[in-house]
Amino acid sequence: MKRIRFSRDTLQFPQKDFDMVKEGVVSLGIITVLVVAVAAIWGAPYRPAVTNQQVALQNPIGIGQEVLGDLDGQGAIASYGPPYNNGWHGKAQSVQSFLGLSPQTWWGTPYHVNTAQADVLIPLQMLATASHNGALTAALHTYKTASYTQQQAWTTAMTNAMGKATVHNGQVVLPSGHYGPVALMVNDEINLAKSGLLSGALDRETNKGVYRWNVQNDLLFLQGQVLPGIANNINMAGGQWGINHDEQAYPGPWWLTPYTFLYQIPPWSTGATGDQTAAYSMGFLFLLLVLVPWIPGLNKLPKLLPVHRVIWRDWYQRLERTGACGQCPLRASCTQEFREQSQAHMGAAETVPSCYLPDESMAYNQNERHRSPGVSTLRTRTD
Amino acid sequence: MNWTQSMRKNVSEKLTWDHLLPSEQPIYVSSLVYSFGVFTLSSLVLCIVSGVVMAAYGPTWYQYSGVGSLFRSVHFWSVQAFFFFMTMHLVGQFFMGSWREGRAFTWVIGAVSFGISVIEAFTGYLSRGDFFSQWNQVQSKDAFNGAGIDGFLNILNNGQVYGLHIAVLPLVLIGLVGWHLVAVRSKGVVPPYQARANAKEGRRS
Ligand code: HEM
Repeated sequence: MKRIRFSRDTLQFPQKDFDMVKEGVVSLGIITVLVVAVAAIWGAPYRPAVTNQQVALQNPIGIGQEVLGDLDGQGAIASYGPPYNNGWHGKAQSVQSFLGLSPQTWWGTPYHVNTAQADVLIPLQMLATASHNGALTAALHTYKTASYTQQQAWTTAMTNAMGKATVHNGQVVLPSGHYGPVALMVNDEINLAKSGLLSGALDRETNKGVYRWNVQNDLLFLQGQVLPGIANNINMAGGQWGINHDEQAYPGPWWLTPYTFLYQIPPWSTGATGDQTAAYSMGFLFLLLVLVPWIPGLNKLPKLLPVHRVIWRDWYQRLERTGACGQCPLRASCTQEFREQSQAHMGAAETVPSCYLPDESMAYNQNERHRSPGVSTLRTRTD
Repeated sequence: MNWTQSMRKNVSEKLTWDHLLPSEQPIYVSSLVYSFGVFTLSSLVLCIVSGVVMAAYGPTWYQYSGVGSLFRSVHFWSVQAFFFFMTMHLVGQFFMGSWREGRAFTWVIGAVSFGISVIEAFTGYLSRGDFFSQWNQVQSKDAFNGAGIDGFLNILNNGQVYGLHIAVLPLVLIGLVGWHLVAVRSKGVVPPYQARANAKEGRRS
């Protein structure tokens, strides 16, 4: 069915002088001055990234725990699932599935991480080679050739002991126990981290050559316990509106508020698929925003709300002052949108809204111009 | 149909100087709300200029040198200004119902620009290279993975994130904003809603 729509020709309204180029230049000038002034006075937030080295020096037990989690599969990334791996011995923990839909798994494991290899065995092998460390080489050999049950027995004992460990002169002191080669391995990795070389070893893995762009494994190494602890201390954890605020008094990305808000309330804050459903919820809300012009009710809302009467108050005052609407041939249907006017008005080619046709009495502004008053039809288009 | 001819006809009819860069505006264009779009555009220009300078000198420069961190601060605050004015612009255009009378597509391009801007800003935060980047990178990976974007984007790969931030997304955004402006100009500023019934009888009637 063809619907006749009206659209008013903006060039047929009374006009006033307007300097668009000047407006643009002046606006750019004002914004530049304001922004540069604010930037010069307040600067921008910057908190140096946390390095493995710093953590190893301040909290060597923390590094030890990350290493053990990576080695025995208890760590979050060790058993994450796609896109990093297929979980630990087939058990994946961080796969989100909503209504049976799990797009996370559709791509396989493009960013493969086997944490035992990537975070522990490979860096230690590099260290052993670099330092001609016979004891470490032997420990690695013992560990790799032991049965899985034996490996787990060592790491479990060591993990329990880590809970009771103390630090003396920067060295981790453990109660005695049956840790096999794992005690030496963990200790050497803590020392590797202290030296500052661990990051380099991790970065090396995710970059196939000389250039270091992909910092995946370096970032993943601390993500389990250490980084959340630090974030929590400065109120940046997810349940504390995390990403929504920046350092101290600086404004953060406040435009993410609707998104971070979801993480404060159930079901998004509690559900195991919170991230996935939050992403879909935001996608849905965004679609609503894009489609506002076609959403019944929403697209008529601004007509009902009186805000437009404030924005265009000069215009409405003018209509009232000049009585334009009183003489308007379209006044019967004037409360409706033009596009909804009846076919009857269409026929009368001379019917023109009187706000189009400025006569002298209507002009109240010297700058006003009248354009081609001869044109006397509404534009119509069909679609 | 001759595509060339119809394209020429369309362009010369719809994109005249009177449309693109008029020296007059309808008198109903009289409110601060109309300036929010221009302020948004000005802030965007400032974001781009400061960003181009930063990209030219490189990360170490803007992270550790004095002039560099001034440019980084300008970039930071122009983004704040950009989002502030864009939000005001969006809200203003909503209350004016500016999608009326053939302008729906202008709204759609605007809204999509908003979405792209959010992603652009996010990749920017991740390119800061400080604790904020580090923390948000490991935090947001679960959201990107969970939503199924992991097949395309490894949020922990700074090469990819930085490339998106300084080249791909800005190009998309500039294209969209240009399109938005041409759409606005080719239609002209949306006329006000009709007067209300009780406002119809003027003094002279
Ligand atoms: C990327 C950022 C944006 C820029 C640089 C921008 C710029 C502009 C400018 C300069 C104008 C004309 C002047 C004015 O009315 O303010 C305009 C008009 C408009 N904008 Fe935007 N805009 C942006 C985003 C948006 C968004 C997010 C929306 C809404 C979802 C939107 C919807 C509109 C509409 C519907 C008009 C037409 C108004 C009319 O015909 O009277 N824009 N924009």
